[in-house]
Amino acid sequence: MISLRNVNKKYRTQAGYRVVLDNVSLDFPVGKSVGILGLNGAGKSTLIRIIGDAEPPDSGFVHCDQRVSWPLGYSGGFQGNLTARENARFVARIYGESVRYVEEFTREFSELGEYFDEPLKSYSAGMQGRFAFSVSLACNFEYYLVDEALETGDARYREKFRMAFEERRANASVILVSHNEQTIRRNCDMAAILHEGTLVLYEDLKEALLEYNILQNQPR
Amino acid sequence: MTALSSGIADNSITVKKVLGALVTQVRVINALVLRETKTRYGNYKIGFLWALIEPLVGVSVFVAIFANLRNDNPGGMPLVTFMLVGFICYGLFRDPWNSMQGAISNSRNLLTFPQVTTFDVIMSRGILQVLVSFFVLGFLLYMAYLAGFEVRCERPLGVLMACGLFCVLGLGMGFLFASLEPMVPSVKQFGSQVLGRPLYFSSGLFYTADTLPPPIREYLLYNPVLHMIELVRGEFFHEFETMHGSWFYASMWAFTTLVVGLLAHQAMHKRAIVTK
Repeated sequence: MISLRNVNKKYRTQAGYRVVLDNVSLDFPVGKSVGILGLNGAGKSTLIRIIGDAEPPDSGFVHCDQRVSWPLGYSGGFQGNLTARENARFVARIYGESVRYVEEFTREFSELGEYFDEPLKSYSAGMQGRFAFSVSLACNFEYYLVDEALETGDARYREKFRMAFEERRANASVILVSHNEQTIRRNCDMAAILHEGTLVLYEDLKEALLEYNILQNQPR
Repeated sequence: MTALSSGIADNSITVKKVLGALVTQVRVINALVLRETKTRYGNYKIGFLWALIEPLVGVSVFVAIFANLRNDNPGGMPLVTFMLVGFICYGLFRDPWNSMQGAISNSRNLLTFPQVTTFDVIMSRGILQVLVSFFVLGFLLYMAYLAGFEVRCERPLGVLMACGLFCVLGLGMGFLFASLEPMVPSVKQFGSQVLGRPLYFSSGLFYTADTLPPPIREYLLYNPVLHMIELVRGEFFHEFETMHGSWFYASMWAFTTLVVGLLAHQAMHKRAIVTK
């Protein structure tokens, strides 16, 4: 289970402090995939970075007792001038996984072919996404933190990834950030809305999407 | 809304946790060092050669100048070895500092991984650079020996100890500058121009302290690197006993700098991650 306790986060901007998370406490239920909805700039990516321990909160803490992935995005976490193979090895090493296995799995699953030994910076966004997800699948996480990038690559590859993901649904779940309703509806069991520093979890996905629609159409 | 379960935070520190954290840290630093080696030396075929060429150029220039300027050897020490020891040992201090100072800004991507900390990215660069510098020291001295120059180390352990002081000072400067650099990028220029230049010329790379005019020497001896160079030469050459290098003064500087650097890191690292 992932739990947030009294998490605060604000950023300093030219116009003063901007509160992104205002004393947020929440438990993400075990075995449920949760979508996080929010308007542009609501702080969704910050939230997922805090959950993934990529960034420290100003106060409060995040507790988790499962293997959580790094926040998966298009490129985050990888070194552009190293090849996919070298990046995969790096990930295997820091997670203490078998280097050989992760390398092989990633090569097979990402279908990058000869590009596997080319520097990552020469990849298209779709290819980078494919690589990032393949590496993370190789690592057997219990929680996947996904920042906006699940819709990566062409339709056929998306389907492949979804299949692979479905398979490990039994012991893996997603926390997925998106402002795309479709993505959330397809991948999540429930959803939370992040708005003006507060995070509200709705157990009913439909209710959450309804609320989000109202929010979107609100005059600002 | 789901109800919050209570008592999730188990903040007690146990031996098991500490060991687990240590294992992770070792694993991460190991992976980072390997990665760093790849990015720095792997992409170019001559990448690693450059680490050897740089001090060689410095040494050759000064050897050429001094060989023509005067005939006697500095303090009775063989000229080439004298220069080599000075320049490479200076590198033991300057190179870790240089390569560590951009660590946080250049490794932002890697900090996305929860187990990779700012300490790890700074330290791994320091470790790699220290290893490379020691290799360069050994390799170039051996080459000089093969080339027929006189290379005879009087007290290897003492040399190692003095080299350690260079590294500690360099690591300290590295941590200090790496922690400040994300907030104040200009510390890099300050380091290389305002501090680095004068240090290069005032640290006795190509002279010994007792050849300096006493009033100037008095001031230059505030420079801890000059002390270290004097010490390492005193340990290396049987012809030379330093009258000015002080182990106490040099170590005080080295370890104080390291502590200050680590404290600066502790104070700044949270802000450093956020600053883009």
